Amino acid sequence: MMNSYLYDGTADGLLSAITWILEEEPDPEKVTLSERKDTLFEEGFTISTDATQAESLFFRLKQHAPDAAHTLYTFMLAEKEGMETSLLHYVSLAFRYGDKVKGYLTHPAVRDIVNVAKKVGRELHRMKGLLRFEKLQDGAYLAKMEPDYNILHPLAYHFSRRLRAQHWFLYDVKRRTAARWNNGSLQFGTIEQFTTPALSEDEKKVQALWQVFFKTIAIPDRKNPRLQKSNMPMKYWKYLVEKQGE
Amino acid sequence: MDTQVKLQILSGAARYDASCASSGSKREGPSCGTGNTSTIGICHSWADDGRCISLLKILLSNDCIYDCAYCVNRSTNPVERASFTAREVIDLTLEFYRRNYIEGLFLSSAVMQSPDHTMERMVRVAEALRTEEQFGGYIHMKIIPGCSSELVRKAGLYADRISVNIELPSQASLQRLAPQKHKHAILEPMALIGREIATSLVERKASRHAPRFAPAGQSTQMIIGASPENDFQILRLSQGLYKKMNLKRVYYSAYVPVTADNRLPALAAPPLLREHRLYQADWLLRFYGFSAEEILSDEAPHLDESFDPKTAWALRHPEFFPVEINRADYATLLRVPGIGVLSAKRIVAARRFSSITPEGLKKIGVVIKRAKYFIICSGRSSEKPDHSPTVIRHRLLLGEGDEATVSALPEQLVLPGLFA
Ligand code: SF4
Repeated sequence: MMNSYLYDGTADGLLSAITWILEEEPDPEKVTLSERKDTLFEEGFTISTDATQAESLFFRLKQHAPDAAHTLYTFMLAEKEGMETSLLHYVSLAFRYGDKVKGYLTHPAVRDIVNVAKKVGRELHRMKGLLRFEKLQDGAYLAKMEPDYNILHPLAYHFSRRLRAQHWFLYDVKRRTAARWNNGSLQFGTIEQFTTPALSEDEKKVQALWQVFFKTIAIPDRKNPRLQKSNMPMKYWKYLVEKQGE
Repeated sequence: MDTQVKLQILSGAARYDASCASSGSKREGPSCGTGNTSTIGICHSWADDGRCISLLKILLSNDCIYDCAYCVNRSTNPVERASFTAREVIDLTLEFYRRNYIEGLFLSSAVMQSPDHTMERMVRVAEALRTEEQFGGYIHMKIIPGCSSELVRKAGLYADRISVNIELPSQASLQRLAPQKHKHAILEPMALIGREIATSLVERKASRHAPRFAPAGQSTQMIIGASPENDFQILRLSQGLYKKMNLKRVYYSAYVPVTADNRLPALAAPPLLREHRLYQADWLLRFYGFSAEEILSDEAPHLDESFDPKTAWALRHPEFFPVEINRADYATLLRVPGIGVLSAKRIVAARRFSSITPEGLKKIGVVIKRAKYFIICSGRSSEKPDHSPTVIRHRLLLGEGDEATVSALPEQLVLPGLFA
């Protein structure tokens, strides 16, 4: 009979549960872990949440297998439910095999985690290109987005290395979370009520220039809307300047 | 003329240039400035033709004194002419970059007045972007053939990548179609750039403060189908450019008829399939350890239209197959049709843990639709192992039919939907 464990549904809870199981269970790859739903017939032992445990797990994994730790971090951004057991097994295997674990794709848990992390990574990379800033009246820049995954943090980090000299905001419309970069410091927060700020005077002119460029750079004899859509799925068009009015 | 009209003319004139890569260079941005570059390159949009947009790709001017037969901008073609001022290019680049439309600037130009005059203006744009505006984004600059080597050197100091277009695959064609361009004016700067890149790499090993020269390397482009060279000649030329000149990339651009000229072939449509096959063969040269002579020969100098070059090679070499997935080394795996760099790496990584079954291959994400005819896994095959190349050929073209119908098919059958 497999042992089953429960945790409180938070990210910290998940990681501290994994820490506990790795320390206490003789064979962590044989037990299951899931979120406690507080229903009457739930079976399993609940592990309490300890934020310092969660952090130390991540830190130790980073020392031992930096690549696997990055996969873990990326996986967590997906906010996936129901994959806790896979994650537990993955982390256990990562401590056993080190970074080589990512090649162990014949193992179902590794495959699950790596595949989700890969999807998150793909969206993050896409958004590095597809994010669009608009210049506001006060000279700051604002970019809105609705990504599938919670990529605000790594994305903001990317732009903090890139658009260093300007004051900008990055806003995740669905999650109501935002990042702000100003004078060399990056801050994160939530936005309770969003009112669209006024754009700077020249903003529409620059947007029109970009639209002209976008239209003209395509070779007319080689129109290929299918390829365009597969590279740039329509769900991202909402905030693309060049795709307005299509 | 207002900037928007110029932009329309000068981006339209630049669109046939195939290269839009923004990869291969990693630079931390200046702390008070704008922009950095990333090693893997970033696409910011995809145009209506499906190509990645990464750079603001424009000509500084389309006002050309030369008369290359294949080019819209040639002096005898009655098109509207325009030239950007340096300020206009700088502002467009910065405004687009700040809004995250682009990774940087791709600057080329027609020949205004003289090669030196043109190159000097282009270099001035790059210099101002880097030194006055503290721009840290990506810059790709074309070298105008015939300009002084001093300007080539300067361009390399400001740009991430520089390139000289080889234009046509042979000197004879160059003479016929681009009479004002000379072979040495193209090859000399290429060699110079190659030397400067090598020197800079050595110097930077000794001191991190040594100047960088075109850190993303050198590329070139040639037009396919405007002149009579066969694929074998073209591939051998590319092979030489990779090996002897250390180029990062050769781009192939299917000739799009832009003008009726009796020196040019009359094409119904741009030779896109040929361009596609050349890119596939080019990949075999760069990443798969093939030589041009393995892919083509004087007897068979054209790439197969129905098969990608690797499959075509495999069908000519039945003695090489089947490949044993659990034992073959990386280089051998790469020779299997349908197994790319990613799949080969996955196989090598996964078999460390346990030997791979045909089902396991699917699980690790290796597509075996084509590969299955050429592999076995620990002696097991999902196909009968003794197919002759003829049978495999038919199966690959027509999918799985039963043997009787397959072999009864007439030989002249062409691939359905090839141009769809
Ligand atoms: S020099 Fe360049 S722009 Fe001028 S005609 Fe020749 S290919 Fe065209």
